[in-house]
Amino acid sequence: MSLISTIALQVPFDSSSLVTLVWVGFFMLSFIYGTRIQSYFALNDIGRGLNKLKVMKDKSRKEAIDYLVNVGKSPGDPTQRVDQFLDYVTIMPVDIDPQGLVGKIDHVVTTDNDRVRQEVSKLVSQTNPVTVSISENLLEVATSLNMIHKIVRHFYLLGKKTNSYFTLIQLQMLMPMIIQEADALLNAVDSFKVGQPVGDGIGPVVVSKYMVGKEKRVVAKDTVMAISEYKGRKLYMLKADGPMAYVGQPGVAIRKVVEEMGVKPSAIIMIDAALKLEGEKTGEIAEGVGAAIGGIGVEKFQIEEVATHNKVPLYAILVKQSILEAITVMRKEIAEASEKVVVVLNRLIEEKTKEGDDVLVAGIGNTLGVAQ
Amino acid sequence: MMSSVPSSDKKSKLLVYSIEECPVDGQKTKRAFQVGDYVTKDGAKCTKCGNQTRVSLVFAESSRPSG
Repeated sequence: MSLISTIALQVPFDSSSLVTLVWVGFFMLSFIYGTRIQSYFALNDIGRGLNKLKVMKDKSRKEAIDYLVNVGKSPGDPTQRVDQFLDYVTIMPVDIDPQGLVGKIDHVVTTDNDRVRQEVSKLVSQTNPVTVSISENLLEVATSLNMIHKIVRHFYLLGKKTNSYFTLIQLQMLMPMIIQEADALLNAVDSFKVGQPVGDGIGPVVVSKYMVGKEKRVVAKDTVMAISEYKGRKLYMLKADGPMAYVGQPGVAIRKVVEEMGVKPSAIIMIDAALKLEGEKTGEIAEGVGAAIGGIGVEKFQIEEVATHNKVPLYAILVKQSILEAITVMRKEIAEASEKVVVVLNRLIEEKTKEGDDVLVAGIGNTLGVAQ
Repeated sequence: MMSSVPSSDKKSKLLVYSIEECPVDGQKTKRAFQVGDYVTKDGAKCTKCGNQTRVSLVFAESSRPSG
């Protein structure tokens, strides 16, 4: 008889020993296979999220195609061209030698924007600039969702293939934020289709109040300017050309006004939407200094360059909102903040400049549904 | 295990309105948004003074009362 059997015979059997044995077994199982079990749950969780992303991606693609056919009156079936468009890539310049990098990025981004507009004008037979700009935005939303889905799928399959616990857990932790952002993008489609102003358009809404009835001139691509007056100050009001879904080129426009038109502003005031932190209220207004503009950084760099070179102080007025509120139809709280922003803007002009000064005011953001 | 993927179906319906404002007496009229509306677009005649109104805002509010 073996030693183990001898010991087993000597140990009296009772139910509490069995429970202990089960617990020890369970503990050993968790200890050895714990990460595998967690990987299994993570895979399931990510899989569910991935399915959701696929539905969103397909829906945005379908919405873009439907818009091109029904509103844009596409001359043929745009499906194949749209699918090619979704997979188009923009290769950013090399950054190991950073000198002149912003100029290179600007060049690549401008080429891409021009390419998008050319592509879209081939896809629609409508020449209405609002329709063309909405088509551009819808295709950009579909492209973004397509890219998000592809990246998440890549890491999901990589994690599954290599059985990498850490890849899967990291992706699982990021999924709620990814889904939230994708959801915001999909929601933006409904606003874009009917040309409703989005939360990001609060800057243009404020500036448009000063531009109504004034003579407008184009100062940069998709960007217009009008001269207004407030308490003896000459206001140079800038915004993207609405009601198209444009963001314009405020960096180029500000440089042109200051360096080519010879305007010597005593202040540059920028009004923009800003992402709120959790806990902050939608429509809250914040003041600050610096260039209030998002994006890849090219416009911000250009504005900072002009302001620094000409020693013009930069002031910012920000209207807080979430990412969802920024790209979907403007919420009441944000729209109502426009009147408060006018009060802040007027006060800022009075405090920071004197009579006879020139002031440059730029309304930054997508100007869909906001003319001037 | 609880799912970490949030449900996106917890939103209340948003209703979109256009505000027509008279530039002379400041009278504001709220009406449902119509496709083609945009900020600064000419609206109907002012019910108070008969002047041309202008769309001053387009916004959405929840159909559910906030609370």
